[in-house]
Amino acid sequence: MDRRTFFKAGAGIAALGASGGLGAPALAQGAAQRTLRFVPQANLANFDPIWGTQYVVRNAACLVWDTLYGFDANLVPQRQMVESEEVTDGGKTWTFRLREGLRFHDGEPVRARDVAASLNRWAVRDGMGQMIRAIQEEPVQAVDDRTFRWRLKQPYPKMLVALGKNNTPMAFIMPERLARTDPFQQVTEFIGSGPMRLVRNEWVPGAKAVFAKFEHYVPRQEPASWLAGGKVINFDRIEWIIMPDPATASAALQNGEIDWWETPLTDLVPSLRRNRNIRADIADPLGNIGSFRFNHLHPPFNDVRARRAIAMALNQEDYMRAVAGDDRSLWSTLPSFFTPGTPLYTEAGGDILKGPRNIDGAKRLLAEAGYDGQPITVLVAQDQAPLKAMGEVTNALLTSLGMRVDFVATDWGTVGQRRAMRNPPGQGGWHVFHTWHAGADCTNPSSYLALRTHGDGAWFGWPSDAAVEAARNKWFEAPNLEAEKAAVAEMNAAAFNHVTYLPTGFFKTYQAWRSNVSGIIGAPIPFFWNVSKS
Amino acid sequence: MSSASILNPADVPPDSVKAAEPTRDIMPPVKTRTGLWGFVWRNPSIAVGGGIVLLMIFIAVFAPLLWTVDPTALAPARRTREPSAEYWFGTDMLGRDVYSRVIYGARVSLIVGFAVAFFSSVIGLAIGLVSGFVRWADGIIMRIMDGLMSIPSILLAIALMALTRGSVGNVILAITVAEVPRVSRLVRGVVLSLREQPYVDAAVAAGTRTPVIIWRHILPNTIAPMTVQATYVCASAMIVESILSFIGAGTPPIIPSWGNIMAEGRALWQVKPYIVFFPALFLSITVLAVNLLGDGLRDALDPRMAKRI
Amino acid sequence: MFAYVVRRILATIPVMAVVALFVFSLLYIAPGDPAAVIAGDQATPEDVERIRASLGLDRPYLVRFGAWVFDIVRGDLGVSIFTNLPVSTMIMQRVEPTFSLMVVTLILAVSIAVPLGVVAAWKVGTAIDKAVMGFAVLGFSVPVFVVGYLLAWTFALELDWLPVQGYTPLSEGLWPWLENLILPAIALGSVYIALIARITRATMLEVLQQDYIRTARAKGAGQRSILFVHALKNAAVPIVTVIGIGIALLIGGAVVTESVFAIPGLGRLTVDAILRRDYPVIQGVVLLFSFVYVLVNLMIDLLYTLFDPRIRY
Repeated sequence: MDRRTFFKAGAGIAALGASGGLGAPALAQGAAQRTLRFVPQANLANFDPIWGTQYVVRNAACLVWDTLYGFDANLVPQRQMVESEEVTDGGKTWTFRLREGLRFHDGEPVRARDVAASLNRWAVRDGMGQMIRAIQEEPVQAVDDRTFRWRLKQPYPKMLVALGKNNTPMAFIMPERLARTDPFQQVTEFIGSGPMRLVRNEWVPGAKAVFAKFEHYVPRQEPASWLAGGKVINFDRIEWIIMPDPATASAALQNGEIDWWETPLTDLVPSLRRNRNIRADIADPLGNIGSFRFNHLHPPFNDVRARRAIAMALNQEDYMRAVAGDDRSLWSTLPSFFTPGTPLYTEAGGDILKGPRNIDGAKRLLAEAGYDGQPITVLVAQDQAPLKAMGEVTNALLTSLGMRVDFVATDWGTVGQRRAMRNPPGQGGWHVFHTWHAGADCTNPSSYLALRTHGDGAWFGWPSDAAVEAARNKWFEAPNLEAEKAAVAEMNAAAFNHVTYLPTGFFKTYQAWRSNVSGIIGAPIPFFWNVSKS
Repeated sequence: MSSASILNPADVPPDSVKAAEPTRDIMPPVKTRTGLWGFVWRNPSIAVGGGIVLLMIFIAVFAPLLWTVDPTALAPARRTREPSAEYWFGTDMLGRDVYSRVIYGARVSLIVGFAVAFFSSVIGLAIGLVSGFVRWADGIIMRIMDGLMSIPSILLAIALMALTRGSVGNVILAITVAEVPRVSRLVRGVVLSLREQPYVDAAVAAGTRTPVIIWRHILPNTIAPMTVQATYVCASAMIVESILSFIGAGTPPIIPSWGNIMAEGRALWQVKPYIVFFPALFLSITVLAVNLLGDGLRDALDPRMAKRI
Repeated sequence: MFAYVVRRILATIPVMAVVALFVFSLLYIAPGDPAAVIAGDQATPEDVERIRASLGLDRPYLVRFGAWVFDIVRGDLGVSIFTNLPVSTMIMQRVEPTFSLMVVTLILAVSIAVPLGVVAAWKVGTAIDKAVMGFAVLGFSVPVFVVGYLLAWTFALELDWLPVQGYTPLSEGLWPWLENLILPAIALGSVYIALIARITRATMLEVLQQDYIRTARAKGAGQRSILFVHALKNAAVPIVTVIGIGIALLIGGAVVTESVFAIPGLGRLTVDAILRRDYPVIQGVVLLFSFVYVLVNLMIDLLYTLFDPRIRY
């Protein structure tokens, strides 16, 4: 018995007298085993996964809400809430039938009306949903209590991908009354049909969120595989505890005060692993792609030569070491915009990032592009460790090229605001900012907003190039895998030619858990089904 | 006995008077040490505190000559190395030399400390004087100062930093705003108590203009408590700067300060404690020294201040 | 007496008004756009504008200030931009941990610091005095988070006597509640202890030289009685003043301590809100802290009359 338990026991007896009641309930063995304490990647401040598209919100939402389809470990959409689907009318009409026994947490059955309202709300905010809306004959209609239909003006073969994908926002199904909320406002209740329900009165935004098992959830029969299959929960309670300080979370894991830590710092993992009670492994095999994002509207980076100059000088190894540490199994260089290890991965056009770096050549190209010595405004978010690290490497890179740097150290919120401004950098705009994209979002062009180049409507930076868009359309129309691969290779090469943005590398992160917890898998979302504690 | 008297030396027989025994020392003579050593002996706080502060200033000024390298030079291939002969204090998570960063960091921390102390003293003095002399302004000014003081200074500084981007100048501004109310209260207190003094009354009655009164009577009496207060403000400012950096609202990381070296290293303090340890050591020693200096000055200048400050 | 109390209470109103104006104006001119953060990474600029409008962030200054004051007076602190919960709910959820931490710190600090200061004054000039004062100055000089990390490492990780982080509500037992608060209270209280010990010593030194002490000694009163009954009571006023002023220190230090020990309190709420520009929460919390500070000092002012009947304003 360790010292703490000894003190607790002794003090517990004293406390019995003092407080006139029992000591901490955590002493009860049974209760502790049925509770899982998890430290998520970020603060869970709000909870509407359609309104707020942060990853942590999506991850929590997967517990509370369910989806019609779900990607399995091979990124193929499988049926989840749906029992069967039918495509008719030359691919223009989709009819779906819900499976039996689906209930919301308030006891109501899940009806097609709820699905219709939820999908219509989701389609306003989601990229693929917007594409479908643009070609829909009418919004999703409920045919009867368990059947619903979506009629389109032209075929959309990727419908199931849209409904089952794991990129935000996911097509979660909510009760009709909640789904009627404006997509730009938050829902006020968090009722879903997922395997757990949110314990509302124990939710302290920014500190703690508690989920309790939903007894009436009927899992599918198939074995679970990411978002597909049977979601079997082996806990009565799951507590999400927000810990802003990584050192504190590390100590808590070592002490057994928490069970599972989603994002341990890479540098802390070796010491965690040395502890016999802790296991650590790669969190998401699909990893992340770091991004060096240009502003294409203003000089010098409105000139493709200046962007190419940076590409010639950028050293992905420096960036990746700064972000992910010395463990080579965690990162690799990435001469591509797409996720390595996935079917559509290609390195077409990525030679500019390979081989020894050419600082002198870059300087010449910069001069050719007309760089006149103006300060380059780099927005660096200090509160996100990878972005902070990338910002510093960029500062060193630009300085080595003889450029002057206006290093704006601020928080992610301000970066978010400032990157939306199209003014010239001297008047509140920007030249460069950093971010990263989850590898799961970069496996194909479907939800890859950052790679689009349609000018004004494009993502921050507003790149404009016809060749990339043309290749993208080819992918959407591709009838088979071969055609898809060709289209993606073309898109990759075009994006490198245009230097839409620069990938700073491919990196993975660890997750760590106590050795008495089993069933944790590496995936883009922390999945709680099939996890158990002994 | 002859009628000769000892009053007349000519009458005193030569051998009748012996030299007196030297009297025993009832009180041994007090050895007054003079010079620098004497000063140190009598005022250990000022000596030790002031000495360390001077050492830190020396380190800050001569940083490039103290076997340092560029504190912002990244070398990700050589990150998180333990202290060794090559890297005296080790390297941080981007491969930068911690020793050089700590030495250069002295500049920022000292500049922040001294600048805040200076500006808050000057501004606080001005406000305190106005408040003490101009009756109708006193009420308003003191309400404002009370209001500012009731917002905890860390929160005030963070909030002010949230308005702007991180830079040394903005940090100095934010902390100064938080410290001015206390200084102004102090000055106002001195002014109010001095105005009751008879000599000031006399000066006013004699028709001396207010600026002259301030210059001749008020200021000399504020110098001492203000100096002491300034040292405490300096120490407090250095700590607040480190806390601002800890929270992420302080000086930008490309300019090393003890605070942000600690902030960057805090996540790794269990496995690489040296990144936090060395700047913490330097900061603590410097703040300690400044506090000692303040204590020593206070005791030397006017022991009665101990009650007020 | 009653008139005095009323006057003191009324005097706090202009102070709170200044705080309110300051807090509101500060955030009004702040850059940083909560709408952009809410919209998230995948949002278009139009999305951001829609969210801004829906949050009412585009109305003019006086309108917003007036509306805000009107709501405050009715007890409505507004709704958080990020969580959509009422600010008062968010504050109520977090009050217990912060309040517990501050109370435990206060009690711990006063019980350690006052006796230390008394002992130092009693044995003035000796090694004990120098040691106590040395510790006190050390308390000022080491940043709170360094102290926190050292304590956590030593007592929680290495010795495993206490938990590393977290907060257990009082309803789950006295000892669990206390054991989560001991290390944070010591870390937070280090500066406070230093301050109180110094002032206690300084005031006691002065009081011990007074005539009435000599009289008490002449009357044969014991050392302990002299120190604690005669001297301390007269020294109470400055000591209690410093305790009151130090509450602001506690509040400020709580921000850091709550971060290091993962205590879900108001300090962390404030920092998160400030960094995210969740205006209603920032305004509500800063206003609350200032109000608490003003209230505590008001009570101390009123307590003076208990300690020293000569004090009348």
